[in-house]
Amino acid sequence: MEEKFVFDSKKRWVLGSGMILGLLCMLITFFKDDELHTRFWTNYLHNTVFFVGIALMSLFILAAFTTAFAGWSTLIKRVWEAYALFLVPGLVLLLVLIIGVWGHWHHLYHWADAEAVKTDKVMFGKSGFLNKYWYTFGTIIVVGAWIYFAQRIRKYSVEEDANGPGEDFSYHRKIRTLSVIFLPIAGFSSAAMVWQWVMSLDAHWYSTLFAWYSGSSWFLAAIALTILLIIYLKAQGYMPKVTANHLHDLGKYLFGISVFWTYLWFSQYMLIWYANVGEETIYFRERLDNYKPLFFLNLLFNFVAPFFVLMRNDTKRKVGTMVFASIVVFVGHWLDFFLMVKPGARLTALEAMAHHAGEVHDAASHGSGLPFAMGFSFPGLLELGTMFGFLCLFLYMAFTQLAKASLVPKNDPYLEESLHHHVV
Amino acid sequence: MKQEKEVLYGLYDDEEILLGAVKAAKAEHLEIMDVFTPFPVHGLDEALELEESRLHIAGFIYGAIGTLTAFLFMTWVFTRDWPIIFGGKPYWSVPAFIPITFELTVLFSAIGMTVSFFTVCGMAPGRTNPTLDDRITDDKFCIAFDAAGAGEDMLNRLRSFFSQTGASEVHLKTI
Repeated sequence: MEEKFVFDSKKRWVLGSGMILGLLCMLITFFKDDELHTRFWTNYLHNTVFFVGIALMSLFILAAFTTAFAGWSTLIKRVWEAYALFLVPGLVLLLVLIIGVWGHWHHLYHWADAEAVKTDKVMFGKSGFLNKYWYTFGTIIVVGAWIYFAQRIRKYSVEEDANGPGEDFSYHRKIRTLSVIFLPIAGFSSAAMVWQWVMSLDAHWYSTLFAWYSGSSWFLAAIALTILLIIYLKAQGYMPKVTANHLHDLGKYLFGISVFWTYLWFSQYMLIWYANVGEETIYFRERLDNYKPLFFLNLLFNFVAPFFVLMRNDTKRKVGTMVFASIVVFVGHWLDFFLMVKPGARLTALEAMAHHAGEVHDAASHGSGLPFAMGFSFPGLLELGTMFGFLCLFLYMAFTQLAKASLVPKNDPYLEESLHHHVV
Repeated sequence: MKQEKEVLYGLYDDEEILLGAVKAAKAEHLEIMDVFTPFPVHGLDEALELEESRLHIAGFIYGAIGTLTAFLFMTWVFTRDWPIIFGGKPYWSVPAFIPITFELTVLFSAIGMTVSFFTVCGMAPGRTNPTLDDRITDDKFCIAFDAAGAGEDMLNRLRSFFSQTGASEVHLKTI
């Protein structure tokens, strides 16, 4: 059952050039940028958060499936283990953002501007949570904890391969214990982190649904990337035991969580729309005024397309439709995060630049008629290139981890169930 | 109206034996009337060469009818029949319609599918369906053949089929 994935030089070369392309795109963005390098930093934040989230959700999937006694997924769990370990380089990427906050490299967060916080009632009220210390130590401690769980779960899983299931399945029991502890920690801490990283870009605004909504976005991106990688590995001749039945169940996740995402997206929108409270509606007002195409594209990619493509049984079992749906959903959720990140950070930067230029600015003048700006109003080629670079980095790290252990967890007690997995 | 049926059925103790028997029956071109199992047996549908159920297509159509009913009805009420302004919102407030549209979609498709299923299966309140053997809901796996009008030769052939494929009991019953 032992199956080795070979991360050969051709793959390294392709992914390496992808990373260089991404880096090149980031450099071009940086030098073509405004004085605060807003486009560069928002791209950096957007992709970092997106891929760290995918890693986190992969770990979450592992832990949730272990806790739920899921057997079908055992054959593909090595993919999630490899994805989850991207948290380590992810933390390094986040550290750059943190140092940027301290060193004033970027001007992403309005709350990081000490002078603005002094005179701004709302931000002053939030400054107990939205401050550099929370941002720094929250990120390091929380992501550090996630890394701890990712590495421990991986360690026992690999040791299980080498030493057998152990007495009374001791390795599996250890993984289960870690999973059970991790789940509530992940639930609360991921919410706190996404508030810090993303929601606080619109420092005046908040939504209690935001963490769920962005979390489901991460989850879908992780599932889509899992499906794509598995189909790729199968095309390369790996994972012969993974069948249409496993694909079918992954497709159900892609379908079901897409509907869940839509539910959250809509609930957040409708409650704010109905209550019509100024400081809440500003978030959607801004996006509907200046980002209309993206706003609706988001729904098209993340709800309409997966809903209708994946509704039938057979489309979840066919490679073609699954690849199509996965790519659409992956790009869709990347766009979703684009729309969470860009508008708020852009306003913050515009305000800061106006302030530098000595203009009197008025917070209420937000929103009306921002000119079209490539990279903000719509993702341009540079954004896509940056995303591609990050994706290649992510896959490079994942392939490195995949090559370190057998693709089949041969001593997992649930392996037999996974081999005989059968739906419909 | 009660239709009498003469049924020859065999009981098996295990689903693997049953699956083998079903395949053997197919190979011998014996026409199986029905198979009863206490739980869903993987691979049985394929072995019996059953068509995929069309219930979900019906479900989609019922759901779509629900969507249209809810949405068009609310549109008519709030723009033509009785327009009211709620909280300064326009008469035709699509976001406010979505939850009810969703609910009616689910309701229509759930009720529609239930009624369709009951109709296709010939079930209704007050109707009793005769059971071949009570143990088919417990621990026995049953293959039933239609024995109406079957001659002695055919019955013997079926009986020997049952004994060859490992049935633990064989009964002839009129229900």
